[in-house]
Parts: sequence; structure tokens; C-alpha cells
Amino acid sequence: MVQRGARRALTAEGFGKFLRWLSENDELAVREYQSIRMKLVRYFIHKGCSDPDDLFDKTVDVVVGKIDTCGECPSPLAYCYGVAKNIWRQDLRERKSAPPAALEEHMALPVYPDPQFHEQELKCLEHCMDQLAPGDRDIVARYHQGQGHEKIETRRRLADGLGGVNALRIRMCRIRKDLRVCVAACVDQWAN
Amino acid sequence: MKNITDLNLVRQYLLGRLDEQADLEDNVSDGILFNDEMTDIVDSIEDEIIEEYLEGSLSSVDREAVDKYFLQPPERQEKLRFAKLLKHHFETKPSRYSGTKHENFVRPPVPWLSHFRTYGQFAALVLLIFSTLIYVNGVRRSHARLQGELAQERGRSASLLKQTELLRPPMVSLTLIADRSRGAGTQIPQVEIKSSTRRIIVDIALQGRASGSYDVRLETKGGERLLWSARLLPLISTTGDARLVFDVPARGIESDVYSFVVSSASRATEGLRHYDFQAKLAK
Repeated sequence: MVQRGARRALTAEGFGKFLRWLSENDELAVREYQSIRMKLVRYFIHKGCSDPDDLFDKTVDVVVGKIDTCGECPSPLAYCYGVAKNIWRQDLRERKSAPPAALEEHMALPVYPDPQFHEQELKCLEHCMDQLAPGDRDIVARYHQGQGHEKIETRRRLADGLGGVNALRIRMCRIRKDLRVCVAACVDQWAN
Repeated sequence: MKNITDLNLVRQYLLGRLDEQADLEDNVSDGILFNDEMTDIVDSIEDEIIEEYLEGSLSSVDREAVDKYFLQPPERQEKLRFAKLLKHHFETKPSRYSGTKHENFVRPPVPWLSHFRTYGQFAALVLLIFSTLIYVNGVRRSHARLQGELAQERGRSASLLKQTELLRPPMVSLTLIADRSRGAGTQIPQVEIKSSTRRIIVDIALQGRASGSYDVRLETKGGERLLWSARLLPLISTTGDARLVFDVPARGIESDVYSFVVSSASRATEGLRHYDFQAKLAK
């Protein structure tokens, strides 16, 4: 376990200062912190950064250093976002001058280093499929049904039934997210 | 806040193709960050890119952008891994869900004529049986409709439960005021750790006059197992109240009683203070 700031010199004092800057009320400050963290980590993910959490922490470091001089701030999120953009640009410059981080080789192949873990994940996936609402289960099963032209035709019919291709994409995205959360929790339970 | 309606622009943004076009990049970034309605759209385009990557239907230029840019964050690598798992599952067990009913499926009508043949043979009972059939059928339909509605409600509840799970914040707060010596006999604070909880934000109120740094250890109540340690500076308010505020990852914490052991790094004579708490893993 790592103390907040252990690898990036943000002290407990600095973190506390950041929370106080967000709100005088502890609960509101924590809630605002979580919201800003979630949005900015997502921003760094969208920007293809290899360590979004670290870049968020760097953003907070910079903001903490400016709290005394920036005075009243109507929108902490907007202020942090402005800083985050600069952090991203700096990261992008560094990435361009360095070789890209090595990804798992043959990413497209289903390689599972631990067969036991993989087997458990598949069991959990079956369990989570059973937990889905019947309508969602039907959609996800039909979405993956068939090959080639048959698959395209099935998806076209599904999209027609749901109100268009974008509606199908969004529905599938939500179902996948539900399944991912469910499988992760199930595997965690198995591992502990 | 402006809406981004050009989905191809979002796709180009996610593949890193707008990074050199500052104004356009800013517009899309702002639109996504400040407009919550964009979240689902962006996520679905991400999924689409991953799917095409897995199917091998991306152009070589897009594939290179995915390898060198899109897949750099661990979160997206995890999404790709899960998409592979899902694909593998449906490729190896396609028949498991073959019984799922189709939305446009229409049950064929019951051949009523066959009933009328029977009524012909028992003319005296026609009216009675017919009216009985109508009544029973009505009850059955009503029952079937109620069952259908119940199943739909169950499905909706399950879906809402999952949404609630996703909305749960990844952090929980834990405030510790009384140490073991002062809190004896009273109930110790509890913290509930859900599957979505990643970190615990801890706030310890220090007693007496605080100065210098403090050594903090997280260990099991009996001290058999050390989970974490750090040297921290306290926050001191204008009235002189001192607190230690920090966060620790929730991973590795089980349903048990734990203790933060706090000691002054500069005044060894002050002794140790144990701040106990009960961790509960939510099912």
C-alpha cells in the first residue's frame, strides 16, 4: 500500500489543503474530490495516457501549489481541468520523445497466463449472464450470434428493434459494463 | 455546453488524431468533460473500436493508432481483455442461449375450430362450456400478463441494482476520534467496503498538542500483521486542533478489526495510540 503522495511528494497536508479548497464541509469536499478525480482520470484515459492515475495526482500537486495564489475559484473542476490539459501536453511531449510502452504481445489473441484464473472468469461470466435481465441477456446473446453475413443481418434486426444502430451500441455498451463489474466482483470473491 | 453530434469526430479524437489540432481537440475534450450525456456515447465508440480491433476489421492506419495510442491506458487494455473473454464465451458456448426468445416472436393462434367440433357433439353443453372457457382463458391471460409484468419488474430491479453498483463511489471515509484507551467499552467505528471501494480516506483526530511528524501503521487488532505504514505530517487548524488525513487502498482488507497505530516520530516517550475500527466487506 502506498500513502497518498508517497511517489509524488504530495503530503497529507497538501491533500488536506486540496480538500479544504474544494469545500469547508468534509463530506462535500470528499464528494467533489471523487467527482473531479473520476472526470480527470477519464480525460487522461481518452488521451491515451499510460498512467492516468499518476497524471491526476500530478495535476493535484500543481493545483495545491497554486491554491494560495489562485484565490476564489468558482469552479474547481474547470480550474483542475485547465491544469490537467497542461499536464497532458507535457506527457504527450515526453511520450513522443520516448519509445511507446510495450503492450502485451499479440493483443488480439486470447492469451491467458493463468488457466485457473481464466476458467474462473468464464464461470463468473456464465453466472453474470444468468444475472442479467432477460431482455439484456437476449440482446447480448443475439449480438454475438452467427458469423459473417448472418451476424450482420442479426445485428441489423436488433438495431431496428431498439431504434437504430446508435441505440444498439449504447445498450450493448451498458450491458458489457454491467457484465464487467459483475465478473470483476465475482472473481474478487473467488480470489479472497 | 455544446453537444458533439459528429460521432466520427469523437472516434478520431479517441484515436489521438486531433492532438495536433489544438482548437478542435479542446472543443471535443470540453464537450466530453462537461457534458455527462456524452459519457455513454464515448464509451460505446470505445467499445466499437475494441470490437473492430478484435475482429480484425480496422484499417492498418487505425490499427496502428489503437496499438500506439488507444490501448496505452490499463483501463482500455482491461476492456479489450474482457471483450476477448466475451467473444471466446459465445464462440465456445453458442448453444447455451439459443433458447432465448426473440423480441418479435409471435405465438401462433390456438386452433379454435377443433373446440367447436367438440361443442357440436355436446350441443346442450355448448353455452356452458364456452362461457367457462372464456372465463378460464381470461383468468389465464390475466395471470400470464401479471407474470410477465413481474418478470419485467424483476429484470428492471436487477438492472437498477447493477446501476447502483456502478454509481457507488470508489472511496469511503473513516473518521477516528477516540483511541483504544479512551474508547474502551464503546462501539468502535465501522467501515463498509464494497466491491467498488478502492480507497479509504482516513481522518484521525489527534489528542493533545501536536508537532512534528507521526508514524502511522495499519495492522490487525492484535498486531500480528502489518498492512501499511507511513510517516505523516498533521493538519493543524487555527484553533490548534490536529488531524491526520490520508488515504489507504482498500485492497487486502478483509472483514475484521484493524487498528491504526499512531506514534510521534520526534517524541518517543509519548507512546503508541491505537485507533481501532471494524472493516466489513459488503456482499
